Amino acid sequence: MDKVPVRRARRAALAAALPPAPADYHPALLLGSVFVIATCGLIYELIAGTLASYLLGDSVTQFSTIIGAYLFSMGIGSWLSRYLGGSLLRWFIRLEIMVGIVGGFSAPLLFVLFEYVTSFRLILYALVSLTGVLVGLEIPLLMRILENRFEFKDLVSRVFTFDYIGALLASLIFPLVLVPQLGLIRTSLLFGALNVVVAGVALYRFPETRPFRRSLAGGLVVSLLALGVCFGYAERIQTYTEGMAFQDQVIYSKSTTYQRIVLTKNQRELRLFLNGNLQFSSLDEYRYHEALVHPAMQALPQARRALVLGGGDGLAVRELLKYPQLQSIRLVDLDAGMTRLFRQNEMLLGLNKRALLHPKVEVINGDAYQWVRQDTARYDCIVVDFPDPGNYSIGKLYSVAFYRELEKRLAPGGWVVVQSTSPYVARQSFWCVSHTLQAAGFTTLPYHCYVPSFGEWGFVLAGRNAHWRPDAGPLPPGLRYITPATIRDMRFFPPDMSEIPTEVNQLNNQALVRYFEEDWGPYVH
Amino acid sequence: MPTRRNFLKQAAAGGAGLLLAPLAGLHSCAPGTSRSHIRGSLHGANHTTGHLLRDASRLPVPTHTRQVEVLIVGGGVAGLTARRELERRGFSPEQVLLVELDEQTGGNSRAGRSEVAAYPWGAHYLPIPDPRNHELLGFLQEAGVITGTDAASGLPLYNEYYLCHDPEERLYLHGHWQNGLVPELGVPPEEKQQIARFFKLIDLLRFATGSDGRDAFRIPVAESSADERFRKLDQVSFAEYLDQAGFSSPHLRWYLDYSCKDDYGATTAQVSAWAGLHYFASRKGRARNAAASDVLTWPEGNGFLAEQLRQQATSPILTNTIAYALQETSTGLAANCYNVATRQSTRVEAQRVILATPLFITERLLNSLPTTAHRALPCHRAPWAVINVTLDGLPQGPGAPLSWDNVLYGTASVGYVNASHQSLSLNAAGSKVITCYLPLPADNPTEARQQAHQTPYDEWVRRILAELETAHPGLTPHVQRADVWVWGHGMVAPTPGFVWSEARQQAAQSWQGKLFFAHTDLSGISIFEEGFYQGLRAAAEVAASTT
Repeated sequence: MDKVPVRRARRAALAAALPPAPADYHPALLLGSVFVIATCGLIYELIAGTLASYLLGDSVTQFSTIIGAYLFSMGIGSWLSRYLGGSLLRWFIRLEIMVGIVGGFSAPLLFVLFEYVTSFRLILYALVSLTGVLVGLEIPLLMRILENRFEFKDLVSRVFTFDYIGALLASLIFPLVLVPQLGLIRTSLLFGALNVVVAGVALYRFPETRPFRRSLAGGLVVSLLALGVCFGYAERIQTYTEGMAFQDQVIYSKSTTYQRIVLTKNQRELRLFLNGNLQFSSLDEYRYHEALVHPAMQALPQARRALVLGGGDGLAVRELLKYPQLQSIRLVDLDAGMTRLFRQNEMLLGLNKRALLHPKVEVINGDAYQWVRQDTARYDCIVVDFPDPGNYSIGKLYSVAFYRELEKRLAPGGWVVVQSTSPYVARQSFWCVSHTLQAAGFTTLPYHCYVPSFGEWGFVLAGRNAHWRPDAGPLPPGLRYITPATIRDMRFFPPDMSEIPTEVNQLNNQALVRYFEEDWGPYVH
Repeated sequence: MPTRRNFLKQAAAGGAGLLLAPLAGLHSCAPGTSRSHIRGSLHGANHTTGHLLRDASRLPVPTHTRQVEVLIVGGGVAGLTARRELERRGFSPEQVLLVELDEQTGGNSRAGRSEVAAYPWGAHYLPIPDPRNHELLGFLQEAGVITGTDAASGLPLYNEYYLCHDPEERLYLHGHWQNGLVPELGVPPEEKQQIARFFKLIDLLRFATGSDGRDAFRIPVAESSADERFRKLDQVSFAEYLDQAGFSSPHLRWYLDYSCKDDYGATTAQVSAWAGLHYFASRKGRARNAAASDVLTWPEGNGFLAEQLRQQATSPILTNTIAYALQETSTGLAANCYNVATRQSTRVEAQRVILATPLFITERLLNSLPTTAHRALPCHRAPWAVINVTLDGLPQGPGAPLSWDNVLYGTASVGYVNASHQSLSLNAAGSKVITCYLPLPADNPTEARQQAHQTPYDEWVRRILAELETAHPGLTPHVQRADVWVWGHGMVAPTPGFVWSEARQQAAQSWQGKLFFAHTDLSGISIFEEGFYQGLRAAAEVAASTT
């Protein structure tokens, strides 16, 4: 019981007996700091490079330019170091706290801003430059602090030795331990905290920091707390368990009111998942979207107005915009989170060719069923790109009642096209959509195409006894999949996908949802 | 300055809010419980307005006089149908006046609304009607419920938005939700045999006809066969009948008890065998795009139909108004009508009066008339509570997904209806209103009624949540609001001998060509179709008496 007080008393006695520690008492400590800050500095650089290649693609260019910008900024920092005077130790502690905050929060900040900022690249490089300048200040400042405690040749030799060892350590643990175990956000926060700890150790161990100890200690504790709290919430920013569920690196994930949006990326492709269901892969989405839009639009050389229901990614709109005769395109998507993402993010704008920002395009966030019932306009082309009928709420958007509402919105001679799930995997579901459209009074033209990411995928073109030909009008230039011959081929159904009798999907029987469960059940379980 | 002005405005609004809260009947649950965050209203207190009738002498003397051809007392389905039918029969809007005790019409079909959705306060569906019920079909067509007739079959086409969407019904049985309400999951084979035998019997009865050529069981009740073979089923209780016929399966008996509570607010021991069988064997609906077992429903329940009835006529309606002191005059009858809001009485002189009121009210209104006018028809009427629960989520147990009608096996309530079921919007996964029906069947309804009126708000919420939590563990924190309506007088129960009694038929007879009666009490079965029929019958009698 009385052991602790005895030990404490002894330590107090020792402290009183010894003279105050001289300033040059801690060279090892300062060199240890060099090691830590060098590791941190390289980690920030690696994080920025990795993030840039995740979020912007093209990893060689991204890594190269990020490293260049970072090193150049370090040079600016080194140059600026000459202007720092007064208590160098005080500057050093301040600097470490600042590096800890800027570097530590860089990854979470970039993840959050990815959705909101149109010129994401600008923010990225600004942050990289700021971190670089701060990191560039560190070593010159430390060398100046240590200059009276070592001989110059020793100083240079030791500082750079530790600097490069730190760099080696960072470059090894980053890909092998940190990214797989902690993920980018936590790694960034952890190393931010290490910088702040270096500041804390310096503040505590050097007696000459006494005059400003109190003022800096406050900032230090607050930064550590902030980094710690953010570390705790990192899972909300990017669930790394989710990263394991998906094959590739998750670069964006967000739960909106309606769904969970996840973007993943590898070297070759970008994939969008809604509630875990693949919506497209950047590699072959052109096949899906060309097949969705062009068989209908090539038959409508006089089309003026188009309506897209669902399709908040703007990829169907991108295809529609290839027809100059269209004067207006309305897109109705439930989820504002989705359309915002595809109107603001630079990488996604590259994919949809800024379709949702085009002056001809009007984006409406609303419930498609309610909206269609209230709408009074008529459209020459209606593109229906809803999620698959996997539940009773979505099943209502494939009902004969809904198709009757669409029929009221269709201009004379116009065409409706409906994405209708896979005729190979979900044969009953596919033909049920076709039969439901027929029950609503449409003549239907089912077709299908092969999309490597999805497999065989089906669509149903529906019109009012209108005359349709696969080569009715000119196709826009530059298509990669659709030609009049492709359209003709798509109309052919081999025996394993050919028409089978089904019920009609009504609100009061939800036949389609039941078919869909039957069809996909064996693949899911 | 603006800050101060805003502050004053807010303070005034706050003060008004505080003043209004108790008037609007905002109650809260007991503090310190898991439900302490739940607020809501407690309605049904209009028994206080209704009870003014008990001592009508205290009501003020009339200050105005108003003359009409026909006065309709009561704005439930029967009264609203009579009003609509009189106009269809050529009465002009000025000739007809309807007075309603409550602040809105609809009776047992009235509806409410929370921030999330509209919901029913009582009756909430109409089975696909028998196509021979032409009058009802005509009304439904006018209301847009029927959109056309199939040329080939001649059958009506129903508006898909009003046909109950799939999935329709599920039952929570042995910790699992099964599709449909007839127990199946884990039911022993011998019980299943009984269940199959019962439904085979119903199929026979559905097509059975009496010696008079009429259907054994038909809606309206008045069209059913008077053949003694079937009438004698009215002499025994449904429970006795089932015992005698060897239907002892506990699962079947629970299901039949549930059905009787659902339609009659009474148990199989309390209703007659004729009524119990009628519930099943009278369903003869046919449609081009729906099955006989399908139902029509709306977020606001039959409030939709009541509102359509109201809108299909233009004669004036006085709400918050009770009629009392019915007197004979040289040309007809006069009634004093007291407006609860203005606290003034008007003397309404009418050539004819239709009392579309429940019989316990009718009896009081007739007190001031000669005894020949009195109606002696004792009714068994159990109280009910309806609790509308607004939720921001509904944790689901295993099995079938949330359906329109959701029933919990072996509980006191008859389950809940998802009032948001017919919603076409995709965010149906989030906020919704569920309407929970809690019949309070009792051998002594008067006692049960008093007890129900004394039950505090918190107790209703506790009771219904305790039940819901068994099937939806963790539901309580999702409750945003719970609004309660206590129906003291519920609806008539077709007790043995009631439906086929002389007294019932006599009670519906008009008196001296001046006084007419229209209410489901006079049918013995409280369903929309009977209210509609009663309104039509009374209006036809009035029209016949004037020519």
